[in-house]
Amino acid sequence: MLDPEVGPQALLSIRLQVNGEEREGEVEGRTTLADFLRDQLALTGTHLGCEHGVCGACTVLLDSLPTRSCLVLAASAHGCRVETVEGLARNGQLSRLQQAMWDSHSFQCGFCTPGFLIQAASLLAENPTPTEAEVRHALSGNLCRCTGYESIVRGVLAAAGGQEPAGEVPQ
Amino acid sequence: MRVPVPAERYTGASVRRVEDERLLTGRGTYVADVQLPGMLHAAFCRSPFPHARVVAVHTEAARHAPGVVAVFDGAQMAEMASPVASLVESSPSGGKVSFGILVVDKARLVGDPVALVVAESRALAEDACELIQVDYEELAPVATIEQALDPNLPAIFDELGGNRLFGPETRVFGDVDGAFARADRVVRASIHQHRHQNVPMEGRAILASFDPSSGQLLVRASTQGVNTTRRMLAQQLGMPLDRLRVVAEDVGGSFGLKFGASREEVACCAASRALGRPVRWIEDRWENLTVSGQAREESFEVEAAVTAGGLILALRVQMVIDSGAYPGFAPLVVDTIREMMPGPYRLEALSFTSSGVVTNKATYVAYRGPWAAETFVRERMVDLVAQELGISAAEVRLRNLATRDEAPLRMVTGPSLAGITSRDSLLRAAEIVDLAGFQERQRRLREEGRYLGVGFATYIEPAPGPRQEGGEENTEQVRVELDREGSLLVHTAQMPHGQGHRTTLAQVAADEFGVRLDQVQVMVGDTQRTPDGFGTGGSRFAAMAGGAALHGARRLRGKVLEAAAQILDLAPAELDISGGELVGPGVPGGRLPLAELIGRIDLAARSGQLPPGTDADLTATQDFDGGQSGWSGGTHCCVVDVDPATGLVRILRYLVVEDCGDLINPAVVDGQIRGGVAQGIGAVLLERSVYDAQGQYLSATLMDYLLPTSLDVPHIEIEHLSPVRLDPDVNFRGVGEGGMIAAPPTICNAIADAISPFGAKVLEQHLPPARILELIGAISA
Repeated sequence: MLDPEVGPQALLSIRLQVNGEEREGEVEGRTTLADFLRDQLALTGTHLGCEHGVCGACTVLLDSLPTRSCLVLAASAHGCRVETVEGLARNGQLSRLQQAMWDSHSFQCGFCTPGFLIQAASLLAENPTPTEAEVRHALSGNLCRCTGYESIVRGVLAAAGGQEPAGEVPQ
Repeated sequence: MRVPVPAERYTGASVRRVEDERLLTGRGTYVADVQLPGMLHAAFCRSPFPHARVVAVHTEAARHAPGVVAVFDGAQMAEMASPVASLVESSPSGGKVSFGILVVDKARLVGDPVALVVAESRALAEDACELIQVDYEELAPVATIEQALDPNLPAIFDELGGNRLFGPETRVFGDVDGAFARADRVVRASIHQHRHQNVPMEGRAILASFDPSSGQLLVRASTQGVNTTRRMLAQQLGMPLDRLRVVAEDVGGSFGLKFGASREEVACCAASRALGRPVRWIEDRWENLTVSGQAREESFEVEAAVTAGGLILALRVQMVIDSGAYPGFAPLVVDTIREMMPGPYRLEALSFTSSGVVTNKATYVAYRGPWAAETFVRERMVDLVAQELGISAAEVRLRNLATRDEAPLRMVTGPSLAGITSRDSLLRAAEIVDLAGFQERQRRLREEGRYLGVGFATYIEPAPGPRQEGGEENTEQVRVELDREGSLLVHTAQMPHGQGHRTTLAQVAADEFGVRLDQVQVMVGDTQRTPDGFGTGGSRFAAMAGGAALHGARRLRGKVLEAAAQILDLAPAELDISGGELVGPGVPGGRLPLAELIGRIDLAARSGQLPPGTDADLTATQDFDGGQSGWSGGTHCCVVDVDPATGLVRILRYLVVEDCGDLINPAVVDGQIRGGVAQGIGAVLLERSVYDAQGQYLSATLMDYLLPTSLDVPHIEIEHLSPVRLDPDVNFRGVGEGGMIAAPPTICNAIADAISPFGAKVLEQHLPPARILELIGAISA
C-alpha cells in the first residue's frame, strides 16, 4: 500500500531566464522543466514524446547545452538560461536554420520538430560547417517517425551553407 | 507568407508547405497544447495481468485523494457508455463479441483499463490510480496463435467458446488443382510476419468538453478523420450526431492508429458528460506502446506450383491472423490481403484460406499498408522459388510479371491491372543497381569473407486502382467555395497528420481555378463544416481528394465565368481567371480582382439583375470516384552487407523506382516514400512488439522498442517512372503506404541473398543481429 498522503507537494519558487526573459514560477518538487514550460509559461512548442528521455522532442538548451526537458526538474533549472523553439525566430524573422528546414521540406507532422531544431541549432553553434556524417551523428538521439531523416539532414546542411536547399518554388 | 505568382503550374512543383512556418516556430496546436477553463485530467488504472478475472475494484481511497474529482470503474462506465460491439462481418463463420469501455468482468491484456480517475492535474490523477486496489483472479494467458488454437486454454471471450475468432474460410480463384497437377514442382514455406506497431511521435489524445446547458459535446481529437471519430463516439455514448462536434488541429502522426475512437477516448467523453467539465487525456508512451494497438502478426503456410522454367502457376495460402484481445480491424484486412495476393503477377490460380484468433495481446490495428502481408509473402516466395530453381530472383520476377499488352490483364482475384508499370520498374531498378556488375562484386567479396546481398520487391497498391466493373461505390467529397475576399476555400474530409494536404490540395485547386496559392485555404478537421468522408488513410488523398478538388474547382470556375459573362455582357469563352483576377479583352481595364467580381455577382444576384437560371451560389460540392486512375506501385531494391561475426546488417544502397502517377508535390511524395521505407527498415532490423510466454509485454519503452534513427536510415534513391495516364484529368495516385509495403520484403530478400552461402532460409520479417547469427548457425536458436 502506498502512502495515502500522496498529493500536492510543497511549492518551490524558481526564477530562470527563458528565451532571454526573466521568468518565475511556483512549482512542485516533482514538476519537470517540460511541464513548467508548457503548462505555466504556455510555451507549448516544446513537445513531450516519451517522457523517458529517448525521443528528444522535448529538447531545450539549458545553459547552452541540449537537454531533455522531460528529465530535468523545473526546480533544478532555477537560475539557468533556457532556450526553446519559440526563441529561435527573432523579431518575426525565421532563423537561417528554420528557413532552410522549411525550404528542404524537412518535417511532416511537426511533433518532433522542436527537438530537432534545438539539437541542430546547438550543433551549428559548435560546428558551423558539419559534414553529413556529423549531422547524422548529432541528430541520432532525436526520433522522427515520419521522414526517414534525409530531409532533416539536408535541411541542416543547407542551413550550414554547404548545400542547395531541396525545395523549389515556382518563380 | 510570400508566395510568388507562378509562371507555370503549382502542381508538379515542390512548393514549400503552408503548414511549416507554424510548426517550425513552435506554434502548432496539438491536443496537449489546449487548455480550457476548468479542465480536468484523466489517468487510467490498468491491469498488470494479461488475463485475469476482476473480482472487485476498490476505489474508495482514490476518490478521497487530493484533487480527485471522480473515479469510474467498469460497472459505472457501463452505465455511461455502451459496450463496443465488434462485428466480424467478413466471415459467415465469425463469432461476434462485445466488450466494455472499461474492464467489466475480466482483463484481457496487460494495460487493459480497469478504472478511470479524473483529477485537477495529471499528476494527481496518476497518484490516485496508485491507490486503487483491484482483486484479480489470474487466468491462463493466451499469448500465441498456437495457444489460441489449444482447446485446453480458457476462452478470452466466453461467447466464442474458444479463441478462434473466425474461419477457416477458403476462397478459390481459377483452377488450383489443375495448376498444381501441371506443375513441375511445388515449393513450400511457412512465412511469418511479426508484431510491430505504429508509434506516432504524438500518442493518442483527446479533450472532451461537454456543455450541460446546450447538451453539446465538443471533442478535440488526434484523429485521421473527424467524421469517423464522431460516428463512433456518438454510437458508444448514445448521442445524436448533431450534439457532437469533433475538431482536429495538428496531429502528430498516426500511420493508421488513430481511426474512430478508442475505449479510453470514449471513457473521457463519458466522464466529461457526467461531470460537466472538460476532461483531457494525453496517452503516455508506456500506454502507447502497450495498449494503443499493434499490427502485422500473421502466419502463412504457402505452396507454390511452379514450372521448371520458373513460371509460378498458382498459390495455395493458409493464413492465420492474431487479432489481439479486442477484435476490431483484423477481420476486415483479410479480404484485402486475399484480393491483393497475386499483385502484378500472372498467377492463374489461387486458393486462400483465412482464419483469425484472439489472444491476450494488444488489439490488431491498421498500420501503414495494413494488407502488406500479401507483398511480403509473395515477394519472399518468389525468391524462395528462384533459390530452389537456381534462377536469379529478378529473372523469376520478369518471367511472371504481367505485361500491359496481354489479355486478360487482370489479377486472378478480379481487379484489372490496366496501366501497370511493374515490369518497367523492375527492369529500371536492375539497370540502376547494375545487377550483373553487383553479382560479380558479390562473388569476389564472398571469397574475402564479406557477405553482400541484393533484394528486390515489386508491388502494386490500389490507390485507388483502375475503376473496377461492379466495384463498390467509393467516392470522396470536396466542397469548394469563394469567400467575399476572393479566397478559395477547399473543404475536405481528409485529415492531414504530416502529409501536407493543406499545401498539396491548394496546389491542385489554385491551378485549376486560376488563383495564387496564398488565395486558397484548405479547411479540415471540423465536423461542423467538413464534408462527409472517413478521412486520411489507404493512400486515398492524391487521386480521390485531389481529383475532387480539381473537378470542384473547375465547376466553380465555370459558374463564376458564367455569372461574370452575364454581368459584363460577354461570352464566358472570352473570359479567364488567372492570378486571382478575371481577365479578358472585354473586361474593363483588362482585369478585375476576384473579390470585386464576387461583390458584383452578389449584388447582381440580390437585385435580380442576373437572368433566371444563372447560378450565383459560389460553391461547388464535388464527389469523385477516382476516375480511371490506376495503380500505384513499383520496385524497391536494396543492397546489404551482413557481418557474419556480429549479425549486423549495413544497408549499402536503397533504391525506389516507382509510379504514383503525376506528382502534385515531388518533395512531399519523396518524403512519404522515404518515411515509409524508414518504417520498413525499422520493421526488419529493429522493431518488434515482444510478449513473453506468459503474455507480459516486454517492449513498453522506447529503450525496448527501437525506432530507426538518423544513423539507421541511409540515403534513399528515388526514381519516378512516367505513368500510363488512363484518366483524361486526374492521374495523381496515392503514395503514403507503398514505402512501408515494399521495404520489408526488399530488405529481407537482400539479407537472405547475403547469407545464402550459409544455407540459411529466411521465413520471417524480423532479422535483428541475434536472429541472423542463429540463421547462419553462429549461435544456437
